[in-house]
Amino acid sequence: MAANDISHEILAIIQGVPAGATNDDLVKGLPDVPAQARLEGLNKLLQQGTIELLKKGDKLIYRAKDPKKSALPKDADNEEKIIYGIIEEGGNKGIWIRDIRLQSNLNMTQLNKILKNLETKKLIKAVKSVNASKKKVYMLYNLEPDRSVTGGAWYQDQDFEAEFVDVLNQQCLRFLQLTRENAEKKREGPLALKRLSCCTVKEVHKFISDLGISKVHLDEDDLETILKTVVYDGSAERIMMPDGSYVYRAVNSPLAAPGLVQMPCGICPVIRNCSKCGDVTPNKCVYMTDWLD
Amino acid sequence: MSIEYANLCSVVVKQVFGETVQIVADCLFCAVSRTLPAILKKTNLSRKEVSTALAVLIKYQLVVFAPCATNPFLAEYSLKREEIFYILRYPSYVQLIHSKYGPVGAAIAEELLHTGPQTATNVLLKCIANSEIKEKIETYRENFLAMVSDNYLIRLPQLISAEEDPVPKLQTDAYQYFAPPDINLHFISEVQAGKEKVEKAADAGIYWHANFSRFHQDFRDTVMIGAIERKLGTSASECFKYILKQMYERTDPWQKDCSNPFTFAEIKQTIEKKSNNLDLIKHLDQYVSLIADDPLRFIRKIGEMGGGQYVVDLNHAFEELTLSWFGSVITERYGSKASRIFRIIHMKKYIEQEELQKEAMIPAREAKLLSYYLFQDQFIQIKTIRKAGGGGTGPAKAFFLFHFKPRQSVRMILNICYKALYNTIERSNFEKSEHKRLIEKSQKLDSIVATMKERGESAEYIEEILETLTPPEREILEKVKTRIKTLSKAELTIDDSIFLLQMYLHHSKVETSLTTKDKK
Repeated sequence: MAANDISHEILAIIQGVPAGATNDDLVKGLPDVPAQARLEGLNKLLQQGTIELLKKGDKLIYRAKDPKKSALPKDADNEEKIIYGIIEEGGNKGIWIRDIRLQSNLNMTQLNKILKNLETKKLIKAVKSVNASKKKVYMLYNLEPDRSVTGGAWYQDQDFEAEFVDVLNQQCLRFLQLTRENAEKKREGPLALKRLSCCTVKEVHKFISDLGISKVHLDEDDLETILKTVVYDGSAERIMMPDGSYVYRAVNSPLAAPGLVQMPCGICPVIRNCSKCGDVTPNKCVYMTDWLD
Repeated sequence: MSIEYANLCSVVVKQVFGETVQIVADCLFCAVSRTLPAILKKTNLSRKEVSTALAVLIKYQLVVFAPCATNPFLAEYSLKREEIFYILRYPSYVQLIHSKYGPVGAAIAEELLHTGPQTATNVLLKCIANSEIKEKIETYRENFLAMVSDNYLIRLPQLISAEEDPVPKLQTDAYQYFAPPDINLHFISEVQAGKEKVEKAADAGIYWHANFSRFHQDFRDTVMIGAIERKLGTSASECFKYILKQMYERTDPWQKDCSNPFTFAEIKQTIEKKSNNLDLIKHLDQYVSLIADDPLRFIRKIGEMGGGQYVVDLNHAFEELTLSWFGSVITERYGSKASRIFRIIHMKKYIEQEELQKEAMIPAREAKLLSYYLFQDQFIQIKTIRKAGGGGTGPAKAFFLFHFKPRQSVRMILNICYKALYNTIERSNFEKSEHKRLIEKSQKLDSIVATMKERGESAEYIEEILETLTPPEREILEKVKTRIKTLSKAELTIDDSIFLLQMYLHHSKVETSLTTKDKK
C-alpha cells in the first residue's frame, strides 16, 4: 500500500540520521509526498514502535528505535510505552515514582495501574532503597540494582545482615589474635613483637577470602569497615603508618572487670529510684537477694 | 558532695562510732563549719554528749577546729568530708603495709588506724601488749622508724599556744612532718615493768597518724602498673615501676597535669643497678619507646636530652583508664554493641544518629535503641544545633549530635558507686538485725564453750552445749555469714572503682573550686 511504502521510506530516512530526523529533513528527503501522507506514515511507524518521538527545543525529532532494545510487546498502549521509556532511562539506579509522574504527566491512579500492569508482565520491578525504607524505585526487570540502592555487601534483600557482620568481626579478631600469638612465639624483643603483630588490610582480606565464609564478594574497603568495628569494640587498635594507611593489632584491655558491676547495683535498672525509704530499698532488693544466695 | 556521698558518710560514721557521733557528724556535714552552741541547738543533744562526740571526731582527725572569725573566744568545727570515706579503706591500708613490712608493720598500722593517732612509745607498748607475734621490741621500733622514713606515718600538728588562749592552736613545720621520733627502748621496758608512766616518755606530745596520701599514691601506682602489665607484659610493667620511682625523685606525687621530665639515661642507670630482668635490660630502649608510643599515653617524649626525655602524663593516663572502665561497665549493663557505640561516640567527638549506625555496623533500630538508652542513663549527652526556621517555611531544622562529656559522666557514675556502697552497708546491717537473735545466741555459746575449754571440762559436756544450736539454725547462721562476707568483698571491689574515678577527677585538666583544695 502507498502508506506502507511511505512509512518505509520515512523510516529509511530517519534511520539514516542517527541523531534523529526533524520534519524538515523528511520534507527534504521526500519532496513529493504530501504532508497528510507523511503524517499518516509517521503515525504508523510510531504505532509500530519502530521510531520514537522526541522534542528538542521547539522542534519535533523522530528517531529510529533499535529493534533489540524495544522489548515492549506490541499490544502495550501508549501510556505504558511512555512510562516504560522513562523507567528505562533510570538505568540501574532506578527512578522514583514521583519522578515518573512528573515526567509523564499522568495522574496517580492511572500511573499505579500501569505500573502494576508492567510489573505483572515482568517488564519492570520495584526495588526497595536501603536508605529510606519506604521509598521504592522502579527499574527494568533484568537490570542489576546499583550499590547505593541496595547498600552493598552488607545488605541482602534490603535487610541489614547483622549476623554476617558479626561473623566477619569474629573472624577478623581471631586472625589478629593469631598473628599476635605467632609474633609472641618469636621472642625477638618488644618492638619486633609489636611490629610483627600488626596486620594490614590486605593480609586480613586474603585470610577472609581463603576462609570462604562470604558468599558476597568483599573488597578491601568493606574489610576496613569491619576492622574499624573491631577497634570500636576495644579488642584491637589502629595505628597509622608513615604512608597514611592503617594497620591493626589485637590488644588486651588495660583494666580487669570493674568492681562496680560485680554487684547487682552496677547493672540495676532502677538504681536511680533506690533509697532508704520507698519501694526500692537495699533491704528488700530482689536482685540483691538473688545475688547473695 | 552529693546526697549519696552524705548518706554513705553518715552510715560509715554510725557503723564505726555510734549514733550520737553520727548525729553530730551529720550536723557538721551540711555546713562549712559550726560552733558548739549551734550544734547543740540543731541536734538537741546534751552538751556533754556533743562534746564527747566532737572529741572523738577530733581525735580521729575527722574534724578540725579554728577560732571563729567574728569571735576569737569561740571555736568553729568543720568536718573533713573526704577523710570519712577513708575509714572504709582501712583494711586495704593494713594490707598494703603488711605486704611491705610484714606482720609487725601491719600490727603497728592497725593499732594506729583503729585507736587513732598516738605517740610512738604508746603505739609500741600497745602493740607488744596486744599482739600474738612474739617479736622483740627492737623489731617494732625498726619497723616504726622505717614507716616514718617512707612517709607512711606523718606527724600531727603540735600544740603551740599558751595556756591563756581560749582556742588551742596547732601547727607543724613542713620539714618536721617525717622527722623520726626519739624512742627510748629502755624507757619502754620500764613502763612495761610498771616502774614508769607512759606520759613521761621523751616523745610525749608528738602524735603520729597514717599518711593517707602516701597510701593513695601506692594504690595509684598499682593501678597504673597493673594496666601496663595487662596490656604490654611483665617486663614493660617492671620498666614502668622504675620510671615511676624516678619520677617521684623530682615530682610532687599529686601534681596535677604531668610530671617533671626525666631522661632515659637515668632510667637506664637505675634499672641496671637494681633489676634482675635480663630481657628488660637488653631491650630497655625498646620497652621505653613501646610505653611511650602506646595509645594509653602513660608517658610522653618531650625531648632528646640524655637519650630521650620523657614525662609521665597522669592526666592522659587516667583518662584512658577511665574510658576503658566505662567501656567495661557499659558492656556489662547494656551489651557489647552498646560499648561499641560508646567508643565510636568518644572517638568521633560529635556524631549524628545515622552516621553512628553506619560506623557501628549495627541494625538501625538496635543502634537507635542503645544510643537512646545510653543517653537516658546519662552516659552520653546530646548537643543540639538549630538552624533558623527555614525562611519562614516549615519548622526550624535541628541537628542532634551525640557526644561524651567525661567529667559529667564520671560524677554521675561516682554517685552510683557511692550509692552501691551505701547499699552494701545497709543490707549488711539489715541482715545482722534480722538474725540478731540467732547471732547473739551463737556468740554466747561460743564464749561459754571457750570458758569451758579453759576450765578443762569434758568433751561430751562441750558437745552437749554445742547441740543447743540446732542444725537448721546452724544452716541459717552459715547463710547469713556467707551473705555478709559477699557484701564485704563487694565493698572492697567497689572501692577500687571509686578510687579510679576519684583519681581521674583529681588529675583531669579542668579546675573547679572543689579540686583546688589539696584533698589528698
